[in-house]
Amino acid sequence: MTRTLVLLLLSLAVASCGQEEAAQGPVVSAGDAIDLVMETRFVADLPTYDSVPLPDGLEWVTNEEDPVWSSPEARRGGAFNTFMSSFPLTLRTVGPDSNDAFSAYKRFTNLGLVTVHPNTLDFIPQLATHWAFDPDAKTVYYQLDPDARWSDGKPVTADDYLFTIDFMRSEHIVAPWYNNHYTNQIVNVVKHDDLTISVEGATVKPREELLFEYGLSPTPRHFHRLDENWVRDYNWRSEPGTGAYRISRVEKGQFVEFERNEAWWGDEKRYLANRFNPQTVRVTVIRDMNVAWEYFLRGELDAFPVLMPHFWHEKARGPAFDNGYINRIKFYTDTPQPSAGMWLNTADPILADKNIRLGLAHAMNVELMLKTVLRGDYERLRTHHDGYWDYSNPDIQPREFDLRRAGEYLDAAGFATRGPDGIRMRGNQRLALRVVYSTQEHTPRLVLLREEARKAGIELNLQLLDSSAAFKQILEKQHQITWMAWGASLTPRFWQHYHSDNAGKPQTNNITNTADPEMDRLIMEYRAASDKETRVRLAHTLEQMVHDSGVFIPTYKIPYTREAYWRWLRLPEHYASRTTEAIFNPLVEGLFWIDQDIKAETLAARARGETFEVVNITDTTWRGE
Amino acid sequence: MIRISPQTAKQWRRFRTIKRGYYSLIAIGVLLALSLVAELLVNNRALVVRYEGSYYFPTYSAFMPGTAFGLDYDYETDYRALKVLFQDQPGNWVLMPPVPYSAFETNFKLDAFPPYPPRLEDRHFLGTDVSGRDVLARLVYGFRLAMAFSVILLACNYIVGIAIGCAMGFWGGAFDLVFQRVIEIWSNVPFLYVIMIVASVVVPTFWTLVTVMVIFGWMGMTWYMRTSTYKEKAREYVAAARALGASNTRIVFRHILPNTVSIVVTFIPFSVASGVTALTALDYLGFGLPPPTPSWGELLAQGTANLQAPWIVTSVVAAMTIVLLMVAYIGEAIREAFDPKKFTFYE
Repeated sequence: MTRTLVLLLLSLAVASCGQEEAAQGPVVSAGDAIDLVMETRFVADLPTYDSVPLPDGLEWVTNEEDPVWSSPEARRGGAFNTFMSSFPLTLRTVGPDSNDAFSAYKRFTNLGLVTVHPNTLDFIPQLATHWAFDPDAKTVYYQLDPDARWSDGKPVTADDYLFTIDFMRSEHIVAPWYNNHYTNQIVNVVKHDDLTISVEGATVKPREELLFEYGLSPTPRHFHRLDENWVRDYNWRSEPGTGAYRISRVEKGQFVEFERNEAWWGDEKRYLANRFNPQTVRVTVIRDMNVAWEYFLRGELDAFPVLMPHFWHEKARGPAFDNGYINRIKFYTDTPQPSAGMWLNTADPILADKNIRLGLAHAMNVELMLKTVLRGDYERLRTHHDGYWDYSNPDIQPREFDLRRAGEYLDAAGFATRGPDGIRMRGNQRLALRVVYSTQEHTPRLVLLREEARKAGIELNLQLLDSSAAFKQILEKQHQITWMAWGASLTPRFWQHYHSDNAGKPQTNNITNTADPEMDRLIMEYRAASDKETRVRLAHTLEQMVHDSGVFIPTYKIPYTREAYWRWLRLPEHYASRTTEAIFNPLVEGLFWIDQDIKAETLAARARGETFEVVNITDTTWRGE
Repeated sequence: MIRISPQTAKQWRRFRTIKRGYYSLIAIGVLLALSLVAELLVNNRALVVRYEGSYYFPTYSAFMPGTAFGLDYDYETDYRALKVLFQDQPGNWVLMPPVPYSAFETNFKLDAFPPYPPRLEDRHFLGTDVSGRDVLARLVYGFRLAMAFSVILLACNYIVGIAIGCAMGFWGGAFDLVFQRVIEIWSNVPFLYVIMIVASVVVPTFWTLVTVMVIFGWMGMTWYMRTSTYKEKAREYVAAARALGASNTRIVFRHILPNTVSIVVTFIPFSVASGVTALTALDYLGFGLPPPTPSWGELLAQGTANLQAPWIVTSVVAAMTIVLLMVAYIGEAIREAFDPKKFTFYE
């Protein structure tokens, strides 16, 4: 007995040590705070790559003519405070557990070669100043900006792009999706000199899509030591980036702080100047939206997204608003919509039956949910890719709440009788399905759908998990139904969501486990097509197939963004852009700035009880229809 | 046949003289009894339906589709609508429970958004929550669930705690020593973290919560049982029983346990209260039973998040205060009734 005890104690001690070590790694630590060392020079021999001569006759293009959408009045400085609902499991941008809600912040510390102008939708330079297309319609040449610097001051060179390929193909990063993408999609990256590269894609594509689909970000080769310990060693290291911010402080479980790079190279560039204005950005963990809202009302958070109806209609009222301290803005956008809805795992024995999927779709009273819980603020999403300009299939309409049709489908699936509680039965099996989701505020929506689904004889069991745990379950394909939204992209992405290559294996985005040979064929054709017309036609066909298979039940879209913000945050004349997702995201567009004088004035006025003019902006510049 | 010993009878008489505790016991008893038949009082199923000459009692029966009453749908009948419909049909009628809502159904109005304030005409006596569910219905079913949870939890905790505590006291020696250390170590495991970890990985069900809470909650009772068993074991009547040739089992179950029962009884009310608060706290934090289970903690969370709808938070706080207060009064009275010293000073 005593020996067991000693063993138990020992193992406890070992476990706790292991935890410490894994948590902190070789990084210098002071208590719980992690001092992030970025200039760790343990990469003895930097990988270098050979140059290949550039072909003749390239026609270099650039775009310095599109309008600048930032404001010359922007002022640098100040601290911007925002929040996240759970602490990231890692600071890595790839590898296990890296694809969480915080990953958007991590990714935006690095830029790409070119980017899309948010209003004109033309391509504009970012890390590359010029680009040229090869006649093979697969390869793009880029001239790199000689001014570009890593956040640790090192120049960004062609080698960093070639290293991206080595890095992304490495098995040490444990990221099958990236391994695949950088092997089978981006097939080759060639260095022509220190500041010229070319990127070759797998298939021919129209020019805009070559730039978009075969885009590339550099990876700091002086930072990474790729070996079998990479995943563990780099959990809490902040990778240098090319963007305006770097992660400067991490307090485990509490916050992550970004600091603006001194003399950032982008400040001199046409499209990057006057953006990313706050000096520091602190993202604090506040697990509860309502608590976060109280912080916001106290002025400890600067802005708050108020897309949710009850926030906009009920919470975003009161003295702080009536006295003009906090402003409200509703800004209509014209952009591909995130795909919000219910994703059905076809690997599940019940949901493998298409009749059940279709029956379920007809049993979801989304219309009632929009009208009641969501107060008519949101609109029904029609399909997975809605709002993708030409690419969206205009003929698809979502399945309506229709108990008769739901009943027909479910009868056909064998769930024809009802048990004593009104739930359909197939032999001894009840038609009960689990819905995993991670936002507590969505519970009323699901509660309504659940009650309405009972009418069709379906029981939905709601499983509310912490977002990291939910993502883990979903990416390991352990779910039956998940209630979530995929972020939008520029063009529809069928391969990652629906190709059988990504079905039945963990950590891929095919969370419906769709594996249909005919779809596979069309998806490959879609990827291979180089002219837009063919791609649009294939996208329409594929979208129809997705709709017919019933693996996705679309719920809502929000063709605008709404925010509440303290009046010291200032916006450019046109507030935001056509494709803005979040007005006050300091890392993505970063158009706003903090006016310290107004902040002091506002806080003083609040203390004295003085008021300002109420600001309530509605901007319909980009509203469609 | 249970024989009431004169000692117990005396304690009971003494308990009855402590009015506060006695009336609380009656009140809690009535509430518990009512909650057991809550389906008859708070339900969206009718008590009685008279339709075309026959009587139907849907409360406890299998669900009845609308087609059973001549309606055009085959899901569960909306009895409130049926009642309105039958008003113009002579001979047909519907008798609804006093609160005609279930704890799950969302009831939306066309002209306003929930939470709706209390309104007698709607029979939402305590209003609705943010999903349009009746607050009173959720309180009642939440009460039943919390009480069941805490009684089951108590039973399990006590069985394990009494068994181990008694064994420690009775056997003593190495067994006692080892278990003391085990309990000391085990008590230091942060129980709330364990629940959080469990809740983030799987959705806790009623029984997983009970199990986890028993695993980390049985230790409390062992200390008391251990000491009192030690004490009783040394008494002459145990020695006498042993001299008469009684087996260990007989000594423990016939002599020692009955004599330690007063300790157990005095702890019961407080354990019930702590079980209710524990479940409420877990639900409040979101680590408890999955939505949409009716629960006080979930109501409390909604109420504090929606202070603009004060009827939610007021109802649940009032209900909790009253129940916990009554349980505490009972506990206090039991403790006093079982105290061999009637006066703490000589009169």
